[in-house]
Amino acid sequence: MSTLLPPRLRARHLAVAVAVAATQLACVTVRPSERQVLSTPEMDPSRDGPEEIWHSHVESAREGGFGGHGAAGGGCGCG
Amino acid sequence: MRLRLILGLALLALSLLLPARPIAAADRMVLRGNYYREASNRVLAPEVMLTKDLPDERLTLGVTYLLDAVSSASIAAGAASVTGGDFVFTEIRHEVTAAAASRLRDWSLSGFFRYSTESDYRSRIAGASLARDILERSGTVSLAYSYTSDEVMYIRANIRDLRPWNSTGDDNRLQVHYLNLGYAHALHRTVLGGVNLEAAFAAGPMDNPYRKVLNGLDESHPLTRRRLAPSLFARWAIPRARLVLEPRYRYYADDWGIRAHALEARVHIRPLRHLLLRLRYRYYTQTAASFWREDAAYGVDELYRTADPKMSEFHSHTPGAQVVVELDAIVRRVPALHWLAGAWIEATYNHVFQTTRFGDARLGNLAFSMPF
Repeated sequence: MSTLLPPRLRARHLAVAVAVAATQLACVTVRPSERQVLSTPEMDPSRDGPEEIWHSHVESAREGGFGGHGAAGGGCGCG
Repeated sequence: MRLRLILGLALLALSLLLPARPIAAADRMVLRGNYYREASNRVLAPEVMLTKDLPDERLTLGVTYLLDAVSSASIAAGAASVTGGDFVFTEIRHEVTAAAASRLRDWSLSGFFRYSTESDYRSRIAGASLARDILERSGTVSLAYSYTSDEVMYIRANIRDLRPWNSTGDDNRLQVHYLNLGYAHALHRTVLGGVNLEAAFAAGPMDNPYRKVLNGLDESHPLTRRRLAPSLFARWAIPRARLVLEPRYRYYADDWGIRAHALEARVHIRPLRHLLLRLRYRYYTQTAASFWREDAAYGVDELYRTADPKMSEFHSHTPGAQVVVELDAIVRRVPALHWLAGAWIEATYNHVFQTTRFGDARLGNLAFSMPF
């Protein structure tokens, strides 16, 4: 059915479908008793924090897209 | 043999001195040695981090000190010693960060202040963040803001005279407002996902006072910059395979004409109970700034000039690997080392294949962390 629609409308339908799916996923709640896997270190984004700051510092010195953690320094041509 | 005995006695003495008590999660020390190397630059950045709960997660204080030693090949690289010779120029930067965080039921609040100084640059950053758990703690909404105030100076090499660098403006102060809005959600008992939106506004000198374009003219970048970067990530655990898959994507756009995409995939593997491996691949691509010229031959009347390679169109590939050894495995076999419970050692190596003038680079770190 959707193949009969013009490409612009198809893109809109897809965007709406993605938005609805995202909304449905956002309503999901995982009970505390089911969070055993989620509490492992490899599932914890904050564990990578200090390493991310270092990578971000380097990336902000070598790439046009900023690192995102706020950069300090730069007089040496690093910034 | 004697050395082993002395070491053994020292460890035993230390284990008797240190109390064997339940350790609060945030009472931790981290020693980290960061390393970056490319054809003409080498950066060594050791840092030490301390965090302490007072008395628990309702108030956590932290302090970090980082030393940044940047060694660059001098402009006279390869010259004969009679002419002044070849030498390596080393720049030292000191950075101190003080942070405080508090967690009260579903709310988390934190703040930090960072001061950084080097011979020709001083930076002060203050920031605060607020987060709230929602939907029975299945989701977390966060908002962070930071303000940066930098003083940009330049040194006239022949007389070591330190002067403010105003670029084309009338102030040597660079100010940055940074905002980060995030949402993370447990989508399933094995899947965590999140979205983030970063925005920054910078005003002040953003060019390099020492870098010249082809005909010897100073660099001249715009005095303001607006930047926006939406990103998303997921972590999907496959417990049977002891795997966690982590895709990431980040889009970046600014009003200098740069558009960038960063795609990353990480695989976390736990082959043994106390051994964690991580493989990483990152692809980065960006367009050039609107005022970038491949030949760098700018005219005197051109408003903006740059010789900064990161303003060019380029892409990079970064494969990397990380090993984390949790020392609980040793503690179980040698009870005298109980004070190492919760400690870990981490080694990371990344190789950056990039198409800019900077050339390929190596990036890594070695870290040791222990609770106290």
